[in-house]
Amino acid sequence: MTRSIGENIRSVTFVLALAFLISSIGVGYWTLVASDELGSDPFNPRLVSAIRDRPRGTIVDSAGGVLAESVKATDGYKRVYKDRTLSQVVGYASFKYGTAGVEAAYAESLVGQDPADPVATWRARYLNERESPGAVVLAIDPKVQKAAADALGGRRGAIIALDPRTGAILASVSFPNYDASLIADPTTEDTAWDQVSKNVDKPLIDRARLGVYAPGSTFKLVTGATALEVGVNPDTKVRVDDPWQADPSWGSYFVRSSSKAHGDYTMADGYRLSENIYFAKIGLQIGGAKLAEYAQRFGIGSAPKCDIAAAKGQLSNTGSLDRPTLIADTSYGQGELLVSPLQMALVAAAIGRGGVMPTPHYATEVRDAAGNTIRTVAPGAAGQVIRPDTAAKFTTYLVGAVEGPGAFAFGARINGVHVAGKTGTAENPAGPPHGWFVGFAPAEAPTVAVAVIVENSGQGGLDAAPLGGRVMQTALGK
Amino acid sequence: MTLLLRRGSELRLLVWVAAIALTGFVAVAAAETTAFDRSQVLVPVLFVSMVVLLHAFLAARGLRGDQILLPMAACLTAIGLVLVQRLASSLLANQLSWTVIAAGAFIATILIPRDLTALARFKWSWALLGVALLVSPLLPVIGREINGARIWIGLGRVTFEPWEAVKIVMVVFFAAYLEEYREVIANTRRFGPLPIPPLPYLVPILAMWGFAMIVVIFEKDLGAAVLFLGIFLAMLYMATGESFYTLIGLALLLVGGFVVYHAFGHVQVRVDTWLRPFSEDMRFGAGYQIVQGLFALANGGLFGAGLGNGMPDRIPIVWSDFVFNAFAEETGFAGALALLALYLLFVYRGMLIALRAPTPFLQLLAAGLSFIVALQTLVIVGGNARLIPLTGVTLPFVAYGGSSLVTNWMLVGLLMRVSDLTARARGTE
Repeated sequence: MTRSIGENIRSVTFVLALAFLISSIGVGYWTLVASDELGSDPFNPRLVSAIRDRPRGTIVDSAGGVLAESVKATDGYKRVYKDRTLSQVVGYASFKYGTAGVEAAYAESLVGQDPADPVATWRARYLNERESPGAVVLAIDPKVQKAAADALGGRRGAIIALDPRTGAILASVSFPNYDASLIADPTTEDTAWDQVSKNVDKPLIDRARLGVYAPGSTFKLVTGATALEVGVNPDTKVRVDDPWQADPSWGSYFVRSSSKAHGDYTMADGYRLSENIYFAKIGLQIGGAKLAEYAQRFGIGSAPKCDIAAAKGQLSNTGSLDRPTLIADTSYGQGELLVSPLQMALVAAAIGRGGVMPTPHYATEVRDAAGNTIRTVAPGAAGQVIRPDTAAKFTTYLVGAVEGPGAFAFGARINGVHVAGKTGTAENPAGPPHGWFVGFAPAEAPTVAVAVIVENSGQGGLDAAPLGGRVMQTALGK
Repeated sequence: MTLLLRRGSELRLLVWVAAIALTGFVAVAAAETTAFDRSQVLVPVLFVSMVVLLHAFLAARGLRGDQILLPMAACLTAIGLVLVQRLASSLLANQLSWTVIAAGAFIATILIPRDLTALARFKWSWALLGVALLVSPLLPVIGREINGARIWIGLGRVTFEPWEAVKIVMVVFFAAYLEEYREVIANTRRFGPLPIPPLPYLVPILAMWGFAMIVVIFEKDLGAAVLFLGIFLAMLYMATGESFYTLIGLALLLVGGFVVYHAFGHVQVRVDTWLRPFSEDMRFGAGYQIVQGLFALANGGLFGAGLGNGMPDRIPIVWSDFVFNAFAEETGFAGALALLALYLLFVYRGMLIALRAPTPFLQLLAAGLSFIVALQTLVIVGGNARLIPLTGVTLPFVAYGGSSLVTNWMLVGLLMRVSDLTARARGTE
């Protein structure tokens, strides 16, 4: 028996109605559910909408120096950036290519719609009236910024300096950088974007907060602090004989000493001479679970809660330390570890500040057009990572690593101030090792913590330490 | 007076159309300029006058039956004009001319053919016309290539996409053919639960459809290919009630899609931009348009930014491919839902006309025509909202483009003719 055409038409109509329902749900998803996420997507041109017809807010450093402002051009306003060394931090606001950096993170504030000012936001949305925008003030200290930029010079790498007491970022350079004004200018945007986005050295990436590297020996800060926390006696002598393996099951795998050492090491010796075998043995003594737990407390493998997005890196490919060789390698900063300079600066800051990890932030306040503060950016501490007494004890080793006889990080010394620090040399498969330095000063009550990475540096950490020293010296006003 | 009373509901509904057209144009003008400009009111007034004239023509001619289709089509066209003014005001004069031509095509459809059922008698002519229209863009002199696709014909400055008209011709042919052979195709021998398709009887429609598919694939017109397949399967199902054919068709779509995906680079790009438009290599390349389209939707929220206050102009070719997103950005989820409801209502009315129609041919014709509007809306809105890969079909009545507007108004004319015939056959309004 054939169904009647009428019945068939009813079925088809029903299916069509169902499809309309599904389409409506899909449209509802984008307009209502995904709305916030896409609305704040850095590539959404709506965030820069004020760029053409009215000026966008300025971005200034801590001394009031202008870093980004809108100037009158022939067809409306265009964005001009003053300091190329801050290109990845300040970012850009392009009609076509969206926004990045502070321009993205504070996009609403820069068009006069700061979330802390709901009235302005409401007026802008429903009355199409926009307050003339004010300013976003960064913690960047122009003197420290210049010192960092000069110190790094034209080498690929990054330097980041922050105040351990507040988490405020005082300086941040990443090289190579780019000219954000060219990306923001409609007449040059395409060629500039093409050049910058296709550059193999990736100048758009802020190496200081988004670049991830093996930490090398700088990770020994985490291993050593963990050892003290779990009760390892730092004065017990540990036998070091190069090359070393825990047992024959490691096969052909050995931990190597960079100085081909043979001798008995205390923790102080281990730091001063950055002895890999010492830390491999300590790491195995602590055990993978404890080491992983403390690494996570120090923020390894999770993104810092920063006002601009930062990389999370990883402790290992799986997130846990489950093999003896991996534990040994991780203990002295190789294995599968990946960290950003920002994360390492935070580790140093936490140790310097008595075990309290600060929350990093680039901006300090948002102001309206009249110069009144709309809101201050002052996130509290992220938490107590290690005990104050452990941190204090541990700091003495880091001072020894800079000031002790034969110390690798001697380049970071500053006259009249005790400096705590550690160099690192990160093996990488792609070329010569990267040089690291992390440190803080004054060691007793630090006001600055720093992390330096010099990519493919000739002498590893030996190259990086003086750069960190110079930046801290400037920050201390010496 | 009697003229007005005959189609009173239609006239009352046109008041709403007038209100929508006027407020739309005034809102767009208000958002763009501060000074009031009389010419901004001129366009909606002209448009509404034209629609009222169409109404008067129908009333004078004594056309009976449906009184909702014309206001709905006019409302959609008005929204389209408002959006052209909003998104590409330089094209407004063009679109207005096409609107007048569309009105002319509508009148022609109402006037001829006098006896609609006679269409069925010329089914082989329709098939031939379809074939001719399909290959016409490939011919020298009149064939045109625009934006890399050779799917246009042109005379002087006027260009037309013939496949838009092929949709209607195809429905007429299928309806006529299936009316004659549906019993044979449906009451076939079975192998267990599976029908054994009576191939000889399927050959003509398969050939027609296959030819269309080959041509549109050759012309790289994915949207048309999807529509032709959809129309073919839907008409076959509505005529025979044999869901097995539909299943085979959908299976063929999957297999064909897989083959086409691997054979053609442009199809791969379409699918990839659908799957991961936000990835680094896509968002400034092939995925730029859909990403900007989704940003527009996201900016819509519940009630939208207000006409003229969004930023849909950041979407490339927004006036033809992404007009739905532009509308949704400025009127919000509420507006988008209302627009979809309007289309669903249009389809519902069309299907109702089909259900009541006196002969299988008229039933299939009305249902097929309504199905075109539904499928086309679903395919483009689905693509715009990233539910399915994006294909270049137009949002009926609303998107910029003359060919689509003219054929859609002819489609409305045909539906109203069927409704008129039904009313006469039943002796009721």
